[in-house]
Amino acid sequence: MTRTVWLASYPKSGNTWLRMLIANLSATDRPADINDLPERGGIASARGPFDYLTMIDSGLLTHDEIDALRPRVYEELARGAADDEYDQPADAPPVRFVKAHDAYTLTPNGEPLLAGARGAESAIVIVRDPRDVAPSLANHSSMSIDEAIVFMSNEQAAFCSRLDRLHNQLRQQLPGWSGHVASWLDQADIPVLLVRYEDLQADTLAVLRGVLAFAGRPADEEAMRRAVAFADFAQLRQQEQEKGFGEAPRPWAGGTFFRRGESGAWRDELTPEQVARIEADHADMMRRLGYELTSARLALTG
Amino acid sequence: MHQSKAGQPVHFYRVAGLAVASEIELPGAIAVPRTAEPAVTIRAAAVPAVLEGATKKGATWQIAGDRFLFQVPGVARFLLSGGREIVFETAAGVDAHDVSIFLLGTVFGILLHQRGEIVLHASAVRVNDKAVLFCGASGAGKSTLAAALAQRGFSLVADDLCAVTLAEGTAPTVQPDGRHLKLWAQAIERLDLAERRGAPVRNKLQKFFVEPAAALAEPLPLGAVYALREARPPHKPGIERPNVVDAALILRRSAYRPQMVNRMEQKADYFRAATTIANAAGIFNLTRTLNFASIAEVVGWLEQHWLDIGLTEKAA
Repeated sequence: MTRTVWLASYPKSGNTWLRMLIANLSATDRPADINDLPERGGIASARGPFDYLTMIDSGLLTHDEIDALRPRVYEELARGAADDEYDQPADAPPVRFVKAHDAYTLTPNGEPLLAGARGAESAIVIVRDPRDVAPSLANHSSMSIDEAIVFMSNEQAAFCSRLDRLHNQLRQQLPGWSGHVASWLDQADIPVLLVRYEDLQADTLAVLRGVLAFAGRPADEEAMRRAVAFADFAQLRQQEQEKGFGEAPRPWAGGTFFRRGESGAWRDELTPEQVARIEADHADMMRRLGYELTSARLALTG
Repeated sequence: MHQSKAGQPVHFYRVAGLAVASEIELPGAIAVPRTAEPAVTIRAAAVPAVLEGATKKGATWQIAGDRFLFQVPGVARFLLSGGREIVFETAAGVDAHDVSIFLLGTVFGILLHQRGEIVLHASAVRVNDKAVLFCGASGAGKSTLAAALAQRGFSLVADDLCAVTLAEGTAPTVQPDGRHLKLWAQAIERLDLAERRGAPVRNKLQKFFVEPAAALAEPLPLGAVYALREARPPHKPGIERPNVVDAALILRRSAYRPQMVNRMEQKADYFRAATTIANAAGIFNLTRTLNFASIAEVVGWLEQHWLDIGLTEKAA
C-alpha cells in the first residue's frame, strides 16, 4: 500500500526543488524532464481530483463548501483511489509525496482540511528565510516586494481565493508566513520533519538522505548522489530556459519559476526598511527557526 | 411560478434529448408541452442518508444496484433510480433555485451515465448545420469560448453537458442542454456581456446565467470535438489531431463524469464512441493561452480550421 507524505511549505520555499530531487531518484542516465516527472503526486489544491472524486462541479461551490469536502478527497486518495488527473505508474513507489501550500487549518466543520492522519502519514515541512521568500514571491505573483511583504504578514491572505472567477486550483489559505509555518509545526495530528531550505542548499545529499529515511522511501547512495546532480539548481533553470516549465506562473508572459535559488540574496535585493519590516513581522518565528535577525533591538523586543 | 400539488409534476422539459417532468422549475432548461409519458421524473421526497446494500461508495455517492445516492453537502441529497427517476431532499434553509442548478448539471449527467449514454463535459455551438464541441474540466474555458463564438453569430447548442447519440448508419448527434450560458463575473465584464446577464447561478456565487444572441433547442449532427488545453510546457499553442489512442483517452476523460465511466463499466463504450466520432467528425486538441486577450486569435484559428476540415466554405 502506497503511503502518503505531504511536502508542505509556504510558496517559494524550495518545495518544487525537493520534489525534483525525489523525482530524479529514478533517473539513471539523464535528468528527469521537469515537465514530465516520473514520481508526481501532484498538489493537494488541484481542482481535477476534487471534481473527479466528488463528481461535483467545484465551480458551483463556494470556497468554504469546497473546504468542507476536501478531507473526504484526501482520505480517498490516501486509501489509493485513482484521481484520473495523472497516469498511474505501473509499479507505484512506496511513498506518494504530495505538494501542499495550504496552511494546516480546520474546515468550517472543525476537522483538519488535509484530513489529519487519515490524509497522510506524515509531513515534511520546508521553510526558508522570509527575507529570501519575499523577493521570490514578488517575482512569482507579479507584485512588488513591498506588496509581497504585506501579503506575508496578512493573516487573511490566500492563493486562488477570488470570487468573480474560477481559479485553476482550489483556494489555499496562507495566513501570513509565520502563521503558515506555525500551523504545520504546531499541529499534533501527524509527525513532522522540519527542513530548512538553507540546509538543503548547504548539504543537499545529507538533507535528502534524512528526508527519505523519515518518509520510509528507500534509495541507495548512488541514486541519491545522481539525484542531487540532476536536480542541481542550475540544471533546473537551464531546462526551464530551454523548454519552459509547465508550473511556472503566466508562461505567456515569459514568467520564470526558477529564479536565483540562492540563500541570503536578500542582502542585495531588499532595502534596509524592507528587512526591518520582515524582521518585525516575523521575529518570533525567525528566531524559532534559527534565522538571525540583523537588528539587535528587534531581536530583543520582537 | 407554478404551484404544484404533492406529487404532481407541473414543469416539462427536454434535457439532453429526454422528456423530463419535474415538480420544480429548472431555469434554463428547454421547456416543452406537457408529456404523458416522460422518460425522467423529478420530485421532492425524503432521501435516505445511507443506501442499503451499497456495493460501491465514494466521498459523496453510493451505488446499490440501479440506485445511485448522491449528495451535495449543505445543499441536497439526490436518489437516482434506474435512470428514470430523480428524488431530491433539500437541506434546511436551501432554496429550490440552488437545487435546480445541481439537478440540471451533475445529477442529470450521472443519470445519463446510468442510462449508458455517451455524455461529454462540453460546450457546443452551431457551425453551418453541425455542432462543434469544446470539452474540458471546470475552469478549462468551455463557456467563455462558447460565449465568444456566440458573439460572432454562432448559435449556442450546449453550455456544460453534451449527450451524444450514436446510431448505426447515421452521423453522431448532439443533444442541446439548455438556452443559457453560465459565466463568471470576470468573463461577463471582459466579454462585454453585462446587458445579457441574468440571475446568479446560485445566490452565493458571482456566476450568472447569460442569454446568448441565439440558442438551439434541436439536436444537430456532430461536426468536430475539440479538447481545450492550456498552453503550458510541454503543450504548444495550436490545433492538432491526436493519434487514435490519445483521441480515445481524450474522449473518456471528457466524459461528463469520468468516474462514472469507470463505475458503470463504460470504458469500452467510450472507446467505440471515440473511434466513431474521430472518423465521422474528428477529435482535436485546441491548445491556447488561458487569458481573455487571446480569445479573438483562437476564434480566428477555429474559423480557419473549419474551412480546412470542410465544416465551412469560403465565402464566394
